[in-house]
Amino acid sequence: MRYETVIGLEVHIEMATQSKIFCSCSAKFGGEQNDHVCPACCGMPGMLPVVNKKVVDLGMTAGMMLNCHINRVTTFDKKSYYYPDLPCSYQTTQWFSPVAVNGTVTIETSKGKKDIRIKQIHMEEDAGKLVHDEWTNTTLVDFNRTSVPLIEIVSQPDLSSAEEVVAYLERLRSLLRFAKVSECRMEQGSMRCDVNLSVRPEGSDKLGVRTEMKNMNSISAIERAIAYETARHIDALENGTEELVQETRRWDDIKGKSFAMRNKETAGDYRYFPDPNVMPIVIDDEWFAKIKGTLPEFPEVKKARYIGELGLSDYDATLLTESRALCDCFESAYAECGQAKEAANWLLSDVLNILNKKQMTPDQLTLDGKTLGKLIKLVTDGKVSRPNAKKILAEMFESEIDPAKYAEEQGYIVSSDTGAIEATVREIVIADERSVTDYKSGKEKALMAIFGKCMKALKGNCDPQTLRQMIIDVINSI
Amino acid sequence: MEKETLRLLCKVNQLALTEEQKDSFLKFMDAREADIKALDAIDTENVERMVHVMPIMTVVREDVEKKLFTRDELQKGAPETMDGYWQVPRVVE
Repeated sequence: MRYETVIGLEVHIEMATQSKIFCSCSAKFGGEQNDHVCPACCGMPGMLPVVNKKVVDLGMTAGMMLNCHINRVTTFDKKSYYYPDLPCSYQTTQWFSPVAVNGTVTIETSKGKKDIRIKQIHMEEDAGKLVHDEWTNTTLVDFNRTSVPLIEIVSQPDLSSAEEVVAYLERLRSLLRFAKVSECRMEQGSMRCDVNLSVRPEGSDKLGVRTEMKNMNSISAIERAIAYETARHIDALENGTEELVQETRRWDDIKGKSFAMRNKETAGDYRYFPDPNVMPIVIDDEWFAKIKGTLPEFPEVKKARYIGELGLSDYDATLLTESRALCDCFESAYAECGQAKEAANWLLSDVLNILNKKQMTPDQLTLDGKTLGKLIKLVTDGKVSRPNAKKILAEMFESEIDPAKYAEEQGYIVSSDTGAIEATVREIVIADERSVTDYKSGKEKALMAIFGKCMKALKGNCDPQTLRQMIIDVINSI
Repeated sequence: MEKETLRLLCKVNQLALTEEQKDSFLKFMDAREADIKALDAIDTENVERMVHVMPIMTVVREDVEKKLFTRDELQKGAPETMDGYWQVPRVVE
């Protein structure tokens, strides 16, 4: 018998805010244990939550990016469970009226395009971190992450393979990074994914027994987990190796296996009820329009424009549109220097190299695009050589400088005195008799030796093409 | 409400009730349960869900980070702490 896999995803995204969802404590990742806490987020009696407006802004933004309907009256509810990582014994989340519902995300795989329906996006608080201490046989609690704002994106069970899941997650990551909702870094836990999976005979309209898998912190781990779990379900159905039960399972990527964690809770177990401490949030027309107005151009629209209007290659456009920060910098640089290809080259080679050395991601780029454009213009106008421009670029990452002013201060402006340059070239050529003889006997490499000496003597302040031609002319003239 | 349920509630909420208080509370809860059951008789079909008893909306605050308390202040009342962590009985096997 042939089987098909039915997958729905719950994706948790940590939102890019400075402070927590219901209090002003820092929402930064890490920090000393219990350093980002206050009576509100560690559940002291009598504390009242105050909603962070940016969380609602980003919740709406995520909803709009995923083509959702935005609920203009959105409410928070209490989800009860007892565990020490949740100091109030309930999580404040959205159950009855989440911020966004009924969206779609279009994915593209080897089988073509497919729409994945989004059931809802809700805003909620994260839980704390537990450390199980073997020595004292106790559990240690760190509330730094408690109340850090999350959105949970719940898909309908429209996915049917690991390839589709990967395409869906990459699409979500791209859209949400573009809209600056989150950095979506799986390795830091700012994007987490639970996979609900069941298997049924192909063509059947009845869903099989569903299991939920947690603890996957990379896209490749998710792929492996889906392959394993699908095979386990089919084996159970075909060969009766085990009885499938609705449960939550933990994926162990090292062992390459999933293990039962607990029987799956149902909504009833959580005793959802409206949180009386947080009043309904009413999103008026003005607020709605303001957020709508901040939505970015979708990455694929940008990419098509870069190729069609600006003449970039598919490769360059694809690389640029992987990061909103790169796109923003590119567009400002292009507006300043008017040369799209040059701006793309500088960003995708020199700028990315510097970021790489600094162990920063493209999304962490803060370089001012206008300043980069000014630097590119200095090079294309022949005022600064490319090697010296690279030095200026490196300085631009360290301090706020004006490239032209800095070039002047450092003596990087290309000399327009061709007579003086020619005199230097002639002096070097005459002194290097051996290289001249080698060049004349057909050894092209010999020219590079002279070129290097000349460039050094001129402190890099000469256009490479002009210098090369000048050396050839001088050699031919002697 | 069962006595055992009340015992568990007292335990998890760290409440020390006398036998007299427990009896009184159980009677109170039974009466409330009867009140709530009376609501079952009402037809709520097509009634819009009430999100709050008062027609008011929440206030929101700007996303500004502030540090208002130190860890030591917050952990003053904690029964057990270790290296800046709250320490609780082991929760996994």
